[in-house]
Amino acid sequence: MNELTLEQALKMIEAAERWARDIAGSPCSIAVVDKAGAAIAVHRMDGAGMATTDIAIEKAWTAVAFKMPTLMGSRWLDPRNIGKLLGDHAMGMIGRGKGRLCFIPGGIPVTNEENEVIGAIGCSGVPSGVGDISDTSASQAGVTALYE
Amino acid sequence: MMNLEAAKKLLQTGIENAKEMGRPCSIAIVDENGWLVALHRMDGAPIPTPEIARDKAWTAAVFRRPSSEVSAYGDPRAPGFGLNAQNWNERLTTIPGGMPIWNESHFIGAIGVCSETPEEDVILCQKVIKEMGAILNRKVGI
Repeated sequence: MNELTLEQALKMIEAAERWARDIAGSPCSIAVVDKAGAAIAVHRMDGAGMATTDIAIEKAWTAVAFKMPTLMGSRWLDPRNIGKLLGDHAMGMIGRGKGRLCFIPGGIPVTNEENEVIGAIGCSGVPSGVGDISDTSASQAGVTALYE
Repeated sequence: MMNLEAAKKLLQTGIENAKEMGRPCSIAIVDENGWLVALHRMDGAPIPTPEIARDKAWTAAVFRRPSSEVSAYGDPRAPGFGLNAQNWNERLTTIPGGMPIWNESHFIGAIGVCSETPEEDVILCQKVIKEMGAILNRKVGI
């Protein structure tokens, strides 16, 4: 598996949609990008905010660009980490990536059997804070569906 | 109203038609305000195509006319000349391939297609809108 196909992307998106609807009970936008960061498929569920599509694409782009979940990167930009090694100088990250950089949790890279990043999924619109419900969990549901 | 289910049907129709034509393409569906509802890039379609398809759909939705007709505003002989010089929005495009979708007199959204040539994009848009009429069993037009 070297490249994500549209079929695989839709499989991931549908699983994430199901998760968002049935478990989180909240509409959201989901985007899948390839290893170049270009969108393969984007869906905005009925009722999701209109800006969520862009944020979902940006999260997926960031996950593939940094080859890590955006949850990890969000730690760098956490103001509580300023002055510590983890957050040192990371504020310079703000505004990078021609507006596509988005270190909000919810983007997860997709890897193949050789552990190479072949794409990413991003989700936006699920309110977080209650248990395991978050954008990251919705994206994780999508990734899990791909490997099944 | 454009919803995800309708958008997915439009995309499915478009992709089936594009496969018949042998043209890998990206198709974007936006709602009546130009906001993206769904976007698919077929396997083998070039990297910039999803963004261009989205630009075309946005332009068609906000002007409520095919994206190719928007170029008339940039004609130096026509009143209102200056659209091309202002560069006020990075989404605005005059490339053919974006079409508004009307459900009788009701504006429901727009489609943008980006494949190899704009002429083929326009043909694909028209085919999709025609089949959308069959799905809704109503008079759907451009």
